[in-house]
Amino acid sequence: MGSRPEVSDPGLLLLISLADGPKHGHAMLLDVAAFAGVRLGPGTLYGALSRLEEDGHVEALPAEGRRRPYRLTGAGRRLLEGRLGGLSRAVRTGLQRVGA
Amino acid sequence: MNAPRLTRILLRCYPSTWRARYGLELADLIEASPLTPRVALDVAAAGIRQRLHVAQLAINGGLVMTIGPAWRHPTAFAMVGAILLLPTFLFVGASLLAYELGVDAVRGMMESVTSAMANWRIVDLLLVAAPPLAFLAALAPLVRLGVDRRDGALEGVIAVRARLLNVTIGLVALLLAGVLVWHIVVESVLQVGP
Repeated sequence: MGSRPEVSDPGLLLLISLADGPKHGHAMLLDVAAFAGVRLGPGTLYGALSRLEEDGHVEALPAEGRRRPYRLTGAGRRLLEGRLGGLSRAVRTGLQRVGA
Repeated sequence: MNAPRLTRILLRCYPSTWRARYGLELADLIEASPLTPRVALDVAAAGIRQRLHVAQLAINGGLVMTIGPAWRHPTAFAMVGAILLLPTFLFVGASLLAYELGVDAVRGMMESVTSAMANWRIVDLLLVAAPPLAFLAALAPLVRLGVDRRDGALEGVIAVRARLLNVTIGLVALLLAGVLVWHIVVESVLQVGP
């Protein structure tokens, strides 16, 4: 359990990855691996990305060859802020309770 | 099997509309790193989840859910119809040449064929059954049955289209079926003939 990543929800990881600017699939894969230590599979990544686009949380930019960058929408940024806020409260509470 | 070919096979796990939108990007991502069994399993499982997601949207959200793969593969179904029809087409054509137009060379050949067929009545049955089956195969892709949700209620949806290849094969099948029925009625029921 100790080696498992703290956050493993692919949708949340992609929202975090896109928070500092547009990225295409391969860049998101590398970014998520770097900041969360999670190696998303290509199917998992595009499954989550297509849901986020379907729900209006990310939007596609013009394709660059076979690659297409995506960026957060306003709704996606609000969703991310809400989810990070919830996680942050949970982390603070947990830290207080363990006395750290 | 090379990676691009395996990638194409893996992409078949996804619904066609999803593939049309994201297929190139996903293929690029798959081919950017070694295609290990873990990656293949991840892509296939995500494709199946996407198919389930689309089916759920269709049932809950009002998208049209089509029934029948024939709609998506009209040429393949037309070819199946043509292949089914070919033996009957050749047999009826040769019979017309031999017995209606009196081409002696063909008549000799037909007589040896029909005497050989006398011991194989199943061949007769297959030759007669082929045109209706070919008709169905050729025309099935021209009709689409679907289920749509409107105002909370499920409704049947029917769509019809025309395709020259399928219609032509369907008409030839109908014509051959007509010739066979005429032949059976005139020569077997009315007992008229040579």
